[in-house]
Amino acid sequence: MTILVELGLFFSLLSLLSVGGMPSVIPEMHRYVVESKGWISHTDFMEMFALGQAAPGPNVLITSLIGWKIAGVPGAFVTLIAMCGPAAVLSYWVAGVWERKKDAPWRAIAQRAMAPMVVGLILSGGFVLATPGGAPDWRLWLIAALSAAGMLATKLNPLWLLGGGAILGGVLL
Amino acid sequence: MTVTPPANLRELFLGFLSIGARSFGGVMPWAHRVLVEERRWISQEDFTSIVGLCQFLPGPNIGNASIVLGRRWFGIKGSAVAFLGFFGLPFLWVLALAALYADFAGVPAVKRVVVGVAAAGAGLFIGTALKLARPIARKPAALVVVAGCFIAVGVGRVSMLLVIPVAAAISYYLSKRGLL
Repeated sequence: MTILVELGLFFSLLSLLSVGGMPSVIPEMHRYVVESKGWISHTDFMEMFALGQAAPGPNVLITSLIGWKIAGVPGAFVTLIAMCGPAAVLSYWVAGVWERKKDAPWRAIAQRAMAPMVVGLILSGGFVLATPGGAPDWRLWLIAALSAAGMLATKLNPLWLLGGGAILGGVLL
Repeated sequence: MTVTPPANLRELFLGFLSIGARSFGGVMPWAHRVLVEERRWISQEDFTSIVGLCQFLPGPNIGNASIVLGRRWFGIKGSAVAFLGFFGLPFLWVLALAALYADFAGVPAVKRVVVGVAAAGAGLFIGTALKLARPIARKPAALVVVAGCFIAVGVGRVSMLLVIPVAAAISYYLSKRGLL
């Protein structure tokens, strides 16, 4: 029970920090559930992330898989509601203000300020996922680099790139 | 092109259900297809501006779009219906997939494949970041913020609770001075 409360509180907080969506908070999620709390291992985290990426639907569902791994089906519900709820309430409120203040100067300033932060955070997410325990593994980096290059150079559906990762994982790891 | 908003909550629910249900490999293209091309609920320009807003807001982008659009057409009831329609099926599927996986997780070959998929997923993050970085790549101040966030959060593993407020303050100041 206490673990559900902890999950709920932590993911509610993450929800409000997730500018640019779930990828931005992957590093913090990993830091908390793997490094700080030790609820699941890095490999567990990687597995849930992979399942979430390969399944249809928004990638925020990765959080419900992590909740499921930690605390079963109740954990899946709690983390997903906590991850979406506060941000949804904020969106509901901001949507009104944002439409009304279309021409306010701070709007453009804030939007430009956000861009480099989101880039830095998403980059961190990729790095943390491909670097288990902070120890570089060239095989994981190679797979990540190939998939990043494939995404930038082609218009392939990302599922093909994940499929490539599956094959390389089976061969190299 | 004429746009017609959904006639009732049922239509709204089914529209977002069909986005969630089909979105293999990314939600954004499917959201565009359903909202702009198939159902013609909103215009292309409208879609771009809503996505822009939702990328700036915390939370899942299209999840937020369901809140914003649901509100526009049917108020708070619309938000709830669109959101549930969008998440309902993917949530069930991902849990089913996880339950299925639990049976095979002990097989070493399966584990290797799944970790390979995760590494490729990490690569998609890096690719996304590089794409988003294109418009700011020639601005030194922006690159300093990118590097600062990456070193603190990615390499240093400092908590985002600390990094975000500091980075936001610095970034807002730089942006106000016209450096971003």
